[in-house]
Amino acid sequence: MNVTLAIAKRELAALFVSPTAYLVIGIFAFVTALFFMTVLVPGQPAEMRWVFIYVVWLLVFIAPAISMRTFSEEFASGSIEMLLTSPVSDAQIVIGKWLGAFGFYAAMLSPLVVQIVVLFLFARPDYGPIFTGLVGLLLVGGFFLAVGVFVSAMSDSQLVSFLVTTLITGTLAIGVYSFATEPSLPEWLRSGLYYVNISEHYSAFAKGLIDATNVVYFVSATALFLFLGVKLIESRRWR
Amino acid sequence: MISASDLTKWYGPTLALDRVGFDIEPGQIVGFLGPNGAGKSTAMRILTGFLPPTSGTASIAGHDILSAPDAARAAIGYLPEGTPLYPEMRVEEFLHFRGRLMGMTRADRQRRIDTLVDRCGLSPVRRRVIRALSKGNRQRVGLAQALLHEPPVLILDEPTAGLDPNQITAVRELIAELRGKHTVLLSTHILPEVERTADRVIIIAGGRLVADDTPTELRRQVAEGSRVIVEAKAEPAELESLLKQVPAVESATAQSLGAWSRAVATPKGLADVRADIGKLLLDKSIAVREISREAANLEQFFVQVTDAAKRAASAESSAKPAAA
Repeated sequence: MNVTLAIAKRELAALFVSPTAYLVIGIFAFVTALFFMTVLVPGQPAEMRWVFIYVVWLLVFIAPAISMRTFSEEFASGSIEMLLTSPVSDAQIVIGKWLGAFGFYAAMLSPLVVQIVVLFLFARPDYGPIFTGLVGLLLVGGFFLAVGVFVSAMSDSQLVSFLVTTLITGTLAIGVYSFATEPSLPEWLRSGLYYVNISEHYSAFAKGLIDATNVVYFVSATALFLFLGVKLIESRRWR
Repeated sequence: MISASDLTKWYGPTLALDRVGFDIEPGQIVGFLGPNGAGKSTAMRILTGFLPPTSGTASIAGHDILSAPDAARAAIGYLPEGTPLYPEMRVEEFLHFRGRLMGMTRADRQRRIDTLVDRCGLSPVRRRVIRALSKGNRQRVGLAQALLHEPPVLILDEPTAGLDPNQITAVRELIAELRGKHTVLLSTHILPEVERTADRVIIIAGGRLVADDTPTELRRQVAEGSRVIVEAKAEPAELESLLKQVPAVESATAQSLGAWSRAVATPKGLADVRADIGKLLLDKSIAVREISREAANLEQFFVQVTDAAKRAASAESSAKPAAA
């Protein structure tokens, strides 16, 4: 545990000193502020629901930008050699890196808190959906970052990691949905695709609903990709 | 302390390491020599558990690298080639991080870091960001990192690559201080470095172990049978014929240097003919200003054995199509 936290802490510190990270935070704050301004119209309910749903789409690009460096940078610089030859397990390394990225992601969400405070200052929003919406965002982000860490363990190029992760997160959040609504596809395939679709699972959180099915979906998907990441790192020792 | 047997590594169709085996006693400093691409780094990466061998195995401090990888890795302090560090971290912060990965307590880490920062000459830069360090200082951080958990075995891949002569001397002295306390395997292609620090030299070329002995013994093998240079006050022809009178001299040639002549004598076999030549010239009352053997060093030996390995490899590969 101590080792995992040491790796997570280093990862987090490395993110906070890199200019890319501040760029990511800046873009996130700017774009979510635009969402907030568009969604908040006089006469409409004071809620964060649509801001949160747009944020999930934004995460399709933002999460890969956070996770792309986790392993790719170490492969490119060669520092992976020092890490993998330490008496540390592959699971500790992968989980540590994911935790570090997750910590950064959680900090990146802070502009949303500012918006929520503003909302509370000028209106009387229902706090339930806001709370569940944030919980949902943490789950979605954790999942996307797990995908990103896994992809990053495949390539020594951060750009490749970013693009491949975006392809996967984009497919899960948007791509799958367009196929699920395609009437010419057989029913079983459509319902299958509909189940994989992230927006569907997330919208319940944005509505104020914490459904066990959705929690299980995100947690197990995160665990699956972290597990695949561990196997990928393990396989490097046997090639 | 380090024992390798039949280590073989194929990278796809390329054979990088061909049945390399050796045993290193505790406390020894062993130089691992070879031209670039000989398989030094591959062998070290296998020993440290970064790469698996295709076949064969090795053990570190009694722990097999395949069946007990964690115990084997914990016994090693490793400096990978090129010293990859985290450039955004500060020196002390980086050492703390490495210590945590090694499972050291905070107090242990602080004590060791204080000692090592001092010993590796890092005191002026201990709070600097690694990115801003010179190559020499980065190398020291790499060494400090390898020594941090007081491992019984140190594996250093090219610890002096890219350093200036003063820095090389400093690193060499640091390594020499480790003698007896740690078992050190260090790779290099700079020969004087191992001639001075190593107790033993292992030379690999083309993935094969081509020599394994003490530097003195290897140097002796080269020195024996090397040519003798004589400078005496005589006509070249006279000096030549005199040298040929010495029974153990195979051939001699001389040239004029004005009043003096310089001759090169090749002995028969491995004989040392210097004493015989000296005595003969003294008997003839000829003034002598030099009798010496051509400087023999590991460099020549290195060139000899690696050339031989290269020839063997090319003979083998050219023999293959003929057989097919």
